[in-house]
Amino acid sequence: MENALGLAGYQSTMMIIVFVVLALGIGALFAALFLPTRWRLPYSMEFLFVGLLVVMVWYGDKRSTEIFEAYQAPLEEEGVLETGYNTASGEFDRVIRVLAFQWGFAFIDEEDTISRNAAVVEPGEKVLFSLFANDVIHGFNIPAAGITAEFEPGAERNVWIRAPAKPGKYLIQCLNYCGVGHSQMKAWLVVQGDEDNEQGEA
Amino acid sequence: MASAHDAERMGIKPHWEPEDVIGKMTLSTLLFSNDYRHIAIKGMLTSVVMLGLGGLMAMLFRTELALPGIQILDARPYMSLMTLHGMFMVFGFIIPFVVSIMYYMMPKILGTEQLLWARGAQWSYWLLIAAAILLVISRPDFTWTFYPPMSLRVGGDLIWMGYIAVVLVAISEFIAGAVLLKNGLAAGRRIGWKKLPLMGWGAISEGILLAASTPILALVGIFMYTDWAQITAVYDPGRGGDVMTFMFMFWFYGHPAVYLPLMPAVAILYTLLPRFLGRPIWSYWSAVTAFALLTMLAFIVYPHHFQPAENVSGMLQRSVQILTLAIFIPSTLHVFNWIATLWSDPIPASARRAVPFKFIIASIFFLMVGGVTAYVNAQIAVDSDYVHNTYFVPAHFHAMFVGFMANMAMAGIYYLYPYFTGRMYNQALGNAHFWLWQIGIFTKVTMMYYLGFNYFPRWVVDYLDLPQWSIPQLILTGGAYLIGLGFIVFVINIMLSATRGATVVGDPWAVDGEEAADGAKPVPAE
Repeated sequence: MENALGLAGYQSTMMIIVFVVLALGIGALFAALFLPTRWRLPYSMEFLFVGLLVVMVWYGDKRSTEIFEAYQAPLEEEGVLETGYNTASGEFDRVIRVLAFQWGFAFIDEEDTISRNAAVVEPGEKVLFSLFANDVIHGFNIPAAGITAEFEPGAERNVWIRAPAKPGKYLIQCLNYCGVGHSQMKAWLVVQGDEDNEQGEA
Repeated sequence: MASAHDAERMGIKPHWEPEDVIGKMTLSTLLFSNDYRHIAIKGMLTSVVMLGLGGLMAMLFRTELALPGIQILDARPYMSLMTLHGMFMVFGFIIPFVVSIMYYMMPKILGTEQLLWARGAQWSYWLLIAAAILLVISRPDFTWTFYPPMSLRVGGDLIWMGYIAVVLVAISEFIAGAVLLKNGLAAGRRIGWKKLPLMGWGAISEGILLAASTPILALVGIFMYTDWAQITAVYDPGRGGDVMTFMFMFWFYGHPAVYLPLMPAVAILYTLLPRFLGRPIWSYWSAVTAFALLTMLAFIVYPHHFQPAENVSGMLQRSVQILTLAIFIPSTLHVFNWIATLWSDPIPASARRAVPFKFIIASIFFLMVGGVTAYVNAQIAVDSDYVHNTYFVPAHFHAMFVGFMANMAMAGIYYLYPYFTGRMYNQALGNAHFWLWQIGIFTKVTMMYYLGFNYFPRWVVDYLDLPQWSIPQLILTGGAYLIGLGFIVFVINIMLSATRGATVVGDPWAVDGEEAADGAKPVPAE
């Protein structure tokens, strides 16, 4: 499925960079410990090394910002919630307001129907979640959609996902400690579809 | 490669004679002596006790997490144990442990002969003990970050003691920072800044971090108490306060707090590596530059702990991302320096045998394992995708705190052991401790990264029985048991060897090929 931030490729690239840098570092440490050949590095090596690190910083900042801004763009357009509600012309196929509380979620759809602990969507829909809380800081995470968010009481935080194409139940959970019931603060993203289709994974 | 000042400022010669300092200590000197060795030994031993207590708590909640479902702990005692575990390990174990090792090393290595402001170090110690007692009585169950308004709504009638404890921790750390700053600056003025040993630069960096960040922590503790008592409403949005005020204030301390045990650990590493190798560090000025950059960056990147948020966006968010990514540079300069030092000449067999040297190498390894993922954590896009508040975060900081800092603390205490007991530790037990820890830490950290990648949430007593969660949790618990077993082996070793270990005379860490003075008995061959 399409990842909310479109990170599938980017995330993999970053993890590959991390593994390569780690492998080089551990390789150098082991070489320094066990290779019979000794190597007295000239100081100029360090300047070259710092140059490579600066390139890494530049690349990480550039790609991260591009992807995050692309994700935020539809959320930051003026009146997104209003246009979102008009699904015929809005950015999103569905808008769901999410009230997080100790310890559960209430999902309020465009007809103001409230569902406790289940957000019902259609396969492949572009869904806007408008998150708010009145009690304490909560988190909102849909692992299958690759999105996490933290929001404090009184503030509104908007995130969007592309719903999985496969019908089934997908886990929604709080990711920020919000009291002793935190571990039980879960809900389901229910992707409707043919009952004969396979169930989605949590 | 090495400059004319290197032998002087790198301190490659021994600074103490092995002596049974601890055997000559009385209860009175243990409790109240202002001799730097007595203060340092007291701090190290207390930290070992804190490590034992914090570790025991970890064993209990790790056992609970080994399988999905509720086994031995309900949610509230689980969270109390987890909160106390975090506070004991950070405030009670790792920071005081490495600072105490610095107290022991500084007077001789910096040439002051006595710990300047030793009375301050004494006060710092006792305030921390008082804080630990208050914390245990208050039984907080709101994690070490105690985010309001949640933390203002939970806990029993005695929870106010927890807020007082936070203030006491802040005062204790502020005083410790002043002591380190005083000693580092005095040595710099006396020796000259170009000749100041890296331990001195570490002391100055640590002193600045402690002295500048802890006043804000004290304010946070005071406001938490007054908000809880409904005298003020600074943080409580239900009464007109603002949670984000807490976030900015708490993390102004909270992020430097991560560096509080890191700076001394780095300084200890820079001190011990030349001793075991018998040669100076590859680049003195690279190390000084890295210390300075880390100290500066520590104070300005803290919003990355709670971004994205409404008031951390736009250019501020971008700047925080760039500066957080930039931390990669000084951290990697340290590692580069250590590897270049190791690689430049043969490593003496005496070093390879020494248990503290093995812990140093493991520390460098885990600094890379933990540090490299900071490149991912720093990026806002990836942070919003899977890093934030999943197990990826504790994986990163356990690799740093346990893998790097605790390993370095162990390197420090094994190194100093013959100097304050007059005896050598048991080599076989030392090796057993080393391998149990490294296998345990690697298992634990790797499983935490894997769980984080699979969105396992932090701070949960129970979880869904999903294969991508339950199997790694079981393996993770096994890794934690290995660390616990290693700790038991360590305690047995230092207790038994204090009376039964081989007596050491001369330089216990004489480098192979050098004449060991006075018939010194270096580390026994394996």
